[in-house]
Amino acid sequence: MKHLSFFLCFKYLCRKKIVLLSIASVAMCCGLLIVVSSLFSGFIAAVENSASENMGDVVIDPYGSMRVPDYDELISELEKVDVVEAATAVLSSNGGLLFLGKGNVRAVLLWGIEVGRRDAVSPFSKYLVGSGGVDIGDEVAVGYVGIGVVAKPDAVTDEYDYDEVGEFVGRKVRLTTAVSGSDKPRRITFHIADISQTGVHQFDSNFVYMPIEELSEQLYPGKGKIADMIQIKLVGGADEEAAVDKIRGVWREFGKKKKLDWASPLDVETSRLKQARLIGEYRKQMGMLMLIFGVVSGGVILLIFCIFYLIVMTKIKDIAIIKSCGLGSSGVAVLFVFFGLVVGVAGSGFGILIGWLMTKNINAVEAWVSSALGLNLWKSSTYMFSRIPNVVYWDYVYWIAGAAIVAAALGALVPAIAASRVRPVRILRYE
Amino acid sequence: MYKLMLATRYFFKRRINLLAMAAIALCVFIVVVVMSVMIGLVSDFKEKNHSYSGDCVIHSDSLVGFAYYEDFVSELEGEKFACGVSPVIDGFGLMRRPGYEDNIGLQIRGVDPVKHSAATGFGDTLYYHKDNPEKAFENIYEPNLPGSVIGVSIIYKSGSFGEYDHFPVPRDLKFEITCFPLNAKGGLARGGADPTSTKVFVNSDDTHSGLVKVDGGMIYLPFDEAQSMFEMGWPIKRINSIHIKFSKGVSADEGMAKVAAMWAKHVERNKDKTYANLFDNVSVEDWFRYRREIIAPMEKEQTMLTILFAMLGIITVFVIFVVFYMIIGHKTRDIGIMRSIGVSSWSVVSIFLLFAGMVGVVGSAIGASAGCSFLVKINDMEDWLFENYEWQLWNREIYAIGEIPHDIEFNVIAVIVACAIGAALLGAFVPAVQAGFKRPVEVLQVNQV
Repeated sequence: MKHLSFFLCFKYLCRKKIVLLSIASVAMCCGLLIVVSSLFSGFIAAVENSASENMGDVVIDPYGSMRVPDYDELISELEKVDVVEAATAVLSSNGGLLFLGKGNVRAVLLWGIEVGRRDAVSPFSKYLVGSGGVDIGDEVAVGYVGIGVVAKPDAVTDEYDYDEVGEFVGRKVRLTTAVSGSDKPRRITFHIADISQTGVHQFDSNFVYMPIEELSEQLYPGKGKIADMIQIKLVGGADEEAAVDKIRGVWREFGKKKKLDWASPLDVETSRLKQARLIGEYRKQMGMLMLIFGVVSGGVILLIFCIFYLIVMTKIKDIAIIKSCGLGSSGVAVLFVFFGLVVGVAGSGFGILIGWLMTKNINAVEAWVSSALGLNLWKSSTYMFSRIPNVVYWDYVYWIAGAAIVAAALGALVPAIAASRVRPVRILRYE
Repeated sequence: MYKLMLATRYFFKRRINLLAMAAIALCVFIVVVVMSVMIGLVSDFKEKNHSYSGDCVIHSDSLVGFAYYEDFVSELEGEKFACGVSPVIDGFGLMRRPGYEDNIGLQIRGVDPVKHSAATGFGDTLYYHKDNPEKAFENIYEPNLPGSVIGVSIIYKSGSFGEYDHFPVPRDLKFEITCFPLNAKGGLARGGADPTSTKVFVNSDDTHSGLVKVDGGMIYLPFDEAQSMFEMGWPIKRINSIHIKFSKGVSADEGMAKVAAMWAKHVERNKDKTYANLFDNVSVEDWFRYRREIIAPMEKEQTMLTILFAMLGIITVFVIFVVFYMIIGHKTRDIGIMRSIGVSSWSVVSIFLLFAGMVGVVGSAIGASAGCSFLVKINDMEDWLFENYEWQLWNREIYAIGEIPHDIEFNVIAVIVACAIGAALLGAFVPAVQAGFKRPVEVLQVNQV
């Protein structure tokens, strides 16, 4: 008999169309929070990954303007360490001024890179637009220029005109920069061998790359091969902290051998740690946003409370009948809370689906909004990256779905108690 | 009268409407706080850009600039509608401190400090010469060398609340500036092995505009020095932009129309002269269009936030819908009696809409009051959190924000409250119409009673 009562009661609840409203609300809040958390987390991860991808997992970056001599030796020592997959040297110049052509001068950052070895640490070749095909010749100095240095993306589509970009390949350009120990600026003339597009605004709009040997000779003639940064890629799954300790050991030994008094263990750091402060701020902003939306979404509890209370009030006679058939007060209460949980599960299930679909297709949605409304929501110059991160972060999804289910159950709790307190004898009497 | 009386009676007698009010109050509170802060940030950012640009800017898209500006500047200075006119040299350069290795690429801006302070808010951004901008480029260390005004973030680190601790006098710093001078055709003005122009400037003041790219990447030089460094003074004098401030009482549209007309005439007068082709790259824009690329993303974020809140606001509409559905469900007999004594259907609808309006007004008033109180104390709360837990909403060492904006914008609050009342009416509309069109004969039959 109890099973029959349970079945009847569940059937009554399922027949109330207004329950769909609560499922829709839970789904909407859940979907929205999943999209917001995934986009924000994706953005933070993209910032972290862009550092690893462009600078390696661990960086030896001596304090001040110290230069590492004989870096080949250091790299071969580093590559003997079991957690190190590859390492490459970089010689940087803090600032430069690039004359690209008539009326076109840009402030840039200059990196000397090992063109051959760099791919093992950062996919440099993959970033090249490949608009080459111009025979530059082996005798002249060459360089690679960020796509944002030579062109501006379209204001609406945020896409570059690759024909315009291609016109710069093979062009002779002049760059001026300064070096330590000399009051006179250094002037470098080189031909653009190719254009680099990493998808990271900071690199694309500011950086010029040259072969490190060429740049060393131009900036520090006669000083041999020198670098001021060693970028290291770790083997997959390596513990970063342990790896940093091992690399510090190699760096210390190298410093002793080469009598580099200034070499310090603090020169070795993970690229993630270098960005930790900024990432911490982003996480804080994300937390605030989630808190605000979470509080507003708390309205769902009120909504479910109202809907379930409405059900109790309109179905009070049915509840009384079921109770008179033998279902106890606690049974009725459990049934309502259970039904609240069902609403939460169904709502969060739909919400996850909506959130997943929205996040996965966010670039298509943004492209559609851009073309249909002429409103470009995402610009690489504003948000650092050329594409919107579209990865769903399931850790947040579980939390959000869990919170939605708990919220639904909470909303159903008071109506459940009200239903359990229904006295059949009072409700069902004739008068 | 009976409508108001009945609506008031329902409002005070039905406790369930407290839920609807709570939903409205919560939503209004959050939206008032978040939108006030966001709008404050955007308005502050716009105001800083306005101050940086002046009211109107005539500027060239090319670093080569344009010529024949002197007559035009004099002509503008004679006009009553313009109270400040400042010709400006813009370009990129490399800055290095002699004896130091670090060099940074930055934007160079050559200005006459008096003219530029009259046309823009430049004078107010100075630290040492706020009251006497004419001395902005007078350095106290080496009178033979020209002074410079550098972005504050380049030489100072900001404190926990975005403040900069200055010395009593400008720091004794020299900056070696290198640039590529361009000729009027856009090519390098200097041939040979060294196409660059280098000069040393002494720090005479710093500028704190509140704009990251200006404070962290710009140096102001004396107009003549910049024109000479960029070789824009020969064979014909060139500049990159003219910044204009309109006199009080002159509207932006009126001023813009006058400047545009004057500029068109000026171009026409000089169209046959050498280098007149440089006018092709020149635009006349108000400050907002001139800085649109920088302002637009913040406005977009504000729009996005508004859309997200509107989506979440739908839940409040649902809550009100359900609450009224319940209330009306319990008032069927009253409705039946009212209808049977001659009250029209729409009068019944209006009673419940009036009731919903009261719920909306009271809920949004509570939410708005709480929001305003929170805004008034928001900076104190942040200070307390920082002192006790070292927590800040925005780390001022990273973000160029001073205080959290806490101005109570009554226009904004009025819009939010109106939207909340609208949401209450919207949520109650369907149940109210259902109530209004109930047939008394069905409602009052004995088995319903």
